[in-house]
Amino acid sequence: MSNARLVKGIGVSAMMAAMALGSSYAMAVDGPLRGNVRVVIGSSSTGGDTYQNASIVVDELSEKLDLNMKVDAVGVSAAYNALQRDPRGNTLMIFHDQSYLGHLYGVQGYEDPFENYIIGPTIAINPGNAYLVPKDSPYQTLDDIIAAVGEGETVRVAIQPGGVSEIGYTALKNAIRILHPGAEENLVAVNTGSQSDKNQLLFDDQADLINGSVQANEQYTRLPEDDQKAMRFVWLTARHDTLAQANEEGLGQTDRETLLQFAEPNVQVTMGDDQNFAFDKEFFFLYNKDMDPAIVEQIDTALEEIYAEGEIQETQKRSFFIPDFMASSESQEYLRDKAERYEGIIESLQE
Amino acid sequence: MMDILSQLDFTFFLLASIGTLIGIIFGAIPGMTATMAVAVCLPLTYALGLEHGLSLLLGLYVGGISGGMVPAVLLNIPGTPSSITTTFDGYPMAQKGEGERALRVCVVASLVGGLISAAVLFLFAPLLAEFSIKFSYVEKFLIILLALTVIASMSNNMLVGIFSGAIGVWLSLIGTYSLSDGGNGNTRLMFDFMEPYLFEGFSLLPVLIGIFGISTILLEAESGVKSSLTGQKIKIGKEGGFSLSIFKGRLTNLVRSSFIGTFVGMLPGVGGSAASVLAYTQEKNLSRDSSEMGKGAPQGLIASESANNALTGGALIPLLSLGIPGDSTTAVLIGAFTLQGIQVGPLFIPENTDTWYIMMVALVAANIVMFLLMFYAIKYIARVVLVPKYLLYPLIVMMCVVGAYAINYGIMFDVWTLMIFGVLGYLVQKVGLEVAPLIIGFILGSSAEVYFVKSLESFGTLSIFFTKSPIAVVLWGLIAASVIFSIVMGLKSRTRRQLEMSQ
Repeated sequence: MSNARLVKGIGVSAMMAAMALGSSYAMAVDGPLRGNVRVVIGSSSTGGDTYQNASIVVDELSEKLDLNMKVDAVGVSAAYNALQRDPRGNTLMIFHDQSYLGHLYGVQGYEDPFENYIIGPTIAINPGNAYLVPKDSPYQTLDDIIAAVGEGETVRVAIQPGGVSEIGYTALKNAIRILHPGAEENLVAVNTGSQSDKNQLLFDDQADLINGSVQANEQYTRLPEDDQKAMRFVWLTARHDTLAQANEEGLGQTDRETLLQFAEPNVQVTMGDDQNFAFDKEFFFLYNKDMDPAIVEQIDTALEEIYAEGEIQETQKRSFFIPDFMASSESQEYLRDKAERYEGIIESLQE
Repeated sequence: MMDILSQLDFTFFLLASIGTLIGIIFGAIPGMTATMAVAVCLPLTYALGLEHGLSLLLGLYVGGISGGMVPAVLLNIPGTPSSITTTFDGYPMAQKGEGERALRVCVVASLVGGLISAAVLFLFAPLLAEFSIKFSYVEKFLIILLALTVIASMSNNMLVGIFSGAIGVWLSLIGTYSLSDGGNGNTRLMFDFMEPYLFEGFSLLPVLIGIFGISTILLEAESGVKSSLTGQKIKIGKEGGFSLSIFKGRLTNLVRSSFIGTFVGMLPGVGGSAASVLAYTQEKNLSRDSSEMGKGAPQGLIASESANNALTGGALIPLLSLGIPGDSTTAVLIGAFTLQGIQVGPLFIPENTDTWYIMMVALVAANIVMFLLMFYAIKYIARVVLVPKYLLYPLIVMMCVVGAYAINYGIMFDVWTLMIFGVLGYLVQKVGLEVAPLIIGFILGSSAEVYFVKSLESFGTLSIFFTKSPIAVVLWGLIAASVIFSIVMGLKSRTRRQLEMSQ
């Protein structure tokens, strides 16, 4: 047996692996951003909304800029590390409100994104952030829950701590504190991880209310009531006006009209002073602090053109996302305001 | 129905075959996994469309899981974490010159495991999904505990084995109890300066490759490089022959292990490596003669490989009937559906019957292609061991380094992990500790912790582990049987050794 043949074999395999892994080096003819661009996301799941959103936008952007771009689901800390290492602009990041909420909740690994990175343009909203109860739950509405907790009943809420999943819980607790001072202690968080863990807690009767999403839980809400897995929406945290922009068909077999019943103003979670809590989960770009401002502008312009063409909105809406483009300068200001508002809520509860 | 047939064109099967081939290559290269292969090719599903994309991805999945057997048998490096138990008997067989035979046993066992799990998936998916949600944290913890009992029966000296296993568990706890598991995200078991590196603990694959691969190479290097070709000892062709008669009397093992693999695959969060470890334990405990296991017995290979391929069908059960991925690869696979805007949940199968049938065809096709590709290519693959070691080992080290660097998308510390555990694996063997229990402790330790803590968090009392459900009671029975069995076996072999000494 010839070693030569073997070496050749190994060579061919290596080449195939290289072909599968790498890709040809593309060069944009003009513009400061050149070469291959890796877009890391703050989630390690390819089944989640961050990956889906990033894929839609990066796909269009890659075509518009004539660059080779790829989304990598690497998770929060790996994504920040990768972004920090690369001021050239060949590593970009897409993430959502978790980036500053994590910091506000004091989660390890989350620095202040407004200090340490450049906030880029916003791209979309997922209006699907939801809270669900078992279908046979005694609580028909969120008001029932608030009232029950006020009367001293313990209600267990399954959330993933330190972020978008927790903000609704925080607001609910705050509302109970305002309406039934002292009773907020009866709303208890059950800290857990993935969506499947939260679902499992509901199946096991270890939680009375779980955080979920329209995308992940809609099918469960259509199961018959005697099914152990059947659930019911009680609250969608999105703003009414955001949700109203979704396709009329909604998602799966649940139309927009039905979903709107679970959002404000039908469902009220007070923040005091006649203000109502609502939360839109927004996705946006994050850049390395030292990245060339010309690249910021290049991406802004490209996205502006893409959104002006109007096709991307259709794709986003088909997946139950709300198109939401704001160029960098606008989005920086907007997100900073948003962060300050939620900082107030979080702090008031930690007092 | 016509829709389905029109999808099953030449391209469909070609993609499944290409997927399987690339998957095998990914699986066979230490440091590259089925999960990576699927992640890399995921964006292609945009261009290919859902059905064709799925056939490619399922090919990658099946190929990637199967490919892990090659380095496991030939080089003592588990190509994927789930092929770790394949090294226990595969490498000793390769050292005896039976590498080719060992690989053929693995391939046949993989095919059977894959097909049995596909059949189970097809016939019972919704039913089993219903059953799988009966497993709460408590039962999942007990399953992992059961897998951990293999440590006792696998080690040469039980106390040393358990001690090594405890070190493994301890190593797995370094890092944070992750926020995404509902922990507090604080680091532990380290000094402050290590935090930037060890925030998420040691990554599994660099540890595996280091402790098995690099340490094996160090041990070999210590004994010096001889100019002779190692291959001269290898029996190729008739002498190293394989016939299906190896499987005679092993059908129970084959079927049992396939079902164990399917079953573990279907429990989200228990993890792929637990499947082969559990199947290996059960074969060890239940077979009439398990004295050769760990020294080069085909029955160990059958258990390990049929179970890890059965994982594929098993992990698809909760994915397709609950929308919950059963293992890390199906967690990436779910992206193929979301990218196309298709919801995967409890109503996926009834609402997407066409896609469901097409997936089944792709899964079966991928298994058959895997078998054909590997069974006939083994002759050539097995000759890797003919390459002189002074050429082969540097190549392997290089590939391991590249793989370790790539596994988390370019983290240099993973390369250091590889080296640290390479040296550690070498030292551990020098001081007489046992590597296999250590690594099993490492793999299962962190999920054991999470489920243990969560059980206590949810129920607030230790007694819940015994009283939660009939399933828990059955699992305790199995754990007790496994422990008693290892003690009896340990005592037996001690008396035998004493007898031999006195003679």
